[in-house]
Amino acid sequence: MTADAPLLEVRDLAARFVARAETVEAVRGISFDIRPGEAVGFVGESGCGKSVTARAILRLAPEGSTVALSGSVRYRGQDLLALSERAIRAVRGRRIAMVFQDPMTSLNPVMTVGAQIEDMLREHTDLSRTAIRERAVELLDQVGIENARARVHDHPHQFSGGMRQRVLIAIAISCNPDLLIADEPTTALDVIVQAQILRLLLRLREQMGMSLMLITHDFGVVAGMVERVNVMYRGRIVETGEVDRVFAAPAHPYTRALLDAVPRLAIARGPA
Amino acid sequence: MATARTPRSGSPILRLVAVRLVWTAAILLGVSVVAFVLMRALPGDFAIAAAGAQFVQAEVLEAIRREFGLDQPVWVQYLRWLGEALQGDLGRSFVTRRPVTSEIGPRFVVTAQLTLIAALMALAIGGTTGLLSARLRGQTDWVVRLVNGLSLAVPNFVVATLIVLMAGLYFPFLNLFNYTPFLADPLANIGSLLLPALCLALAVSVTVSENTRAAVLEVSSQDFVMVARAKGLRPRRVLGSYLLRNALTPVITVTGLQVASLLGGSILIETIFAIPGMGQYLFDSITSRDYPVIQAIVLLAAAVVVFVNLLVDIAYARADARVRYE
Ligand SMILES: Nc1ncnc2c1ncn2[C@@H]1O[C@H](COP(=O)(O)OP(=O)(O)OP(=O)(O)O)[C@@H](O)[C@H]1O
Ligand SMILES: [Mg+2]
Repeated sequence: MTADAPLLEVRDLAARFVARAETVEAVRGISFDIRPGEAVGFVGESGCGKSVTARAILRLAPEGSTVALSGSVRYRGQDLLALSERAIRAVRGRRIAMVFQDPMTSLNPVMTVGAQIEDMLREHTDLSRTAIRERAVELLDQVGIENARARVHDHPHQFSGGMRQRVLIAIAISCNPDLLIADEPTTALDVIVQAQILRLLLRLREQMGMSLMLITHDFGVVAGMVERVNVMYRGRIVETGEVDRVFAAPAHPYTRALLDAVPRLAIARGPA
Repeated sequence: MATARTPRSGSPILRLVAVRLVWTAAILLGVSVVAFVLMRALPGDFAIAAAGAQFVQAEVLEAIRREFGLDQPVWVQYLRWLGEALQGDLGRSFVTRRPVTSEIGPRFVVTAQLTLIAALMALAIGGTTGLLSARLRGQTDWVVRLVNGLSLAVPNFVVATLIVLMAGLYFPFLNLFNYTPFLADPLANIGSLLLPALCLALAVSVTVSENTRAAVLEVSSQDFVMVARAKGLRPRRVLGSYLLRNALTPVITVTGLQVASLLGGSILIETIFAIPGMGQYLFDSITSRDYPVIQAIVLLAAAVVVFVNLLVDIAYARADARVRYE
């Protein structure tokens, strides 16, 4: 693999929810690349298929639904859609990790946050018990949780929403993934906490050199966060390009509409 | 959504226990009055039951009543009983003349054993079938639901009677229904309780099954289960640490609340299987109008139910403190 070869190559990816009576085509043949270390934004209105795309990469169907996938998702040249169940599990979390939208419901209420970091490390690494415990503390510290050594023993309800998202980010980066998929990681948070979480993602990406797939419905969020952006509309990518160019001269009318919806303030902050 | 940190203190649970203790006293007092009055409102009394024959001299009946204090007004009898009970004396059996406590003690152990085994069976059977039917939702879970419907529709004493009859007819050599005391042979003792416990457990296992199904379905659509899968955890771990650990709290609560119906059911089951427990004893005591024994058994049963419910509430309050943001 050359240095420029994409880390992730998605071609003609389609996702259909198969129910008894009808099938819903949520993603209708999309293609995109993510290069090593690159940050790519995915923007689009609610229901356009952003989350389904993100989950399709790791072949995660919502509980109780059957999703038929077609096309290909090549990670370092290997088609993830063709892997066995066991092989895709080794990719999930270890190579490609995910952070979800709602930190209030994304942690298991009956496990300590430390245990929820540790079970991931136990699954994917050969570290000893004590090493795993140390690493959990280190990770919490790395995402900016104060007094991490004591807080690994706390349960999720003892953390605020923003801190829970930090914990979920700590879980996601625990195995040094190549790609972090963040599906609207700040939508459920208030504006100040949003900015903190985005800064944290930016810092971690730089420190760890991982790629970032940042999903949002808010153009204001991708500004300053990513190099390239893909605009999604009804299950398709309708526009793709350098974020500055898309901001300055949106080609697709839908992109223009989305940009108009961004509050002035966010535009003023603009792309870095 | 509560995002603030709330210190976890033991005081709410202590308060819960204190309030419940007061309630328990009130409930037991109420139960004792109702049981006392109802027993004496039944047609016939101990004197008639004791005399046995159809033609008895009125003087004989009167003598018996006088001897046991049954000639007094009911409220006088009750107050006397209450006064003694408050000092820990539940009186003597009219029939055996032995202290009620030593009469009931060993029988209570047997019933507690039977009820506990039945509760565990209900939890195991209901938990397994409920989980199965949640996992098979929309495919073959109708099998589980049909069986559940049938088990609920057929009363446990019918099942018990059928089992006794069939086993007696087809497997008389098995000798399944000879109750063995625990001290004589612990293994045989538990073995002899298995079938009766199963009959007792059936109806409750349906409730557990339906609740498990609902809880598992509810929990599996939670975000943290998706997160667990996205972490690459193996299915067994996702099921155990994420799904079941969350689904079991309501299920155990429901099972605890069924203890009353298990105790009620044990009266029939013990009678059918000839198990010398409290249920059968209560049945016999009602027949012979052995008032002090009936009174004590009813009170004990009420106390057990109240106590188990208290345990369930404490467990729930603790779980609630953890998941309070939901
Ligand atoms: N479990 C499901 N069953 C059936 N259809 C679904 C399911 N989940 C999503 N869809 C369909 O897929 C489409 C895309 O959903 P998706 O969750 O990817 O949207 P999204 O872009 O992430 O929106 P949001 O910003 O609200 O998160 C939806 O319009 C919906 O019709
Ligand atoms: Mg979404």
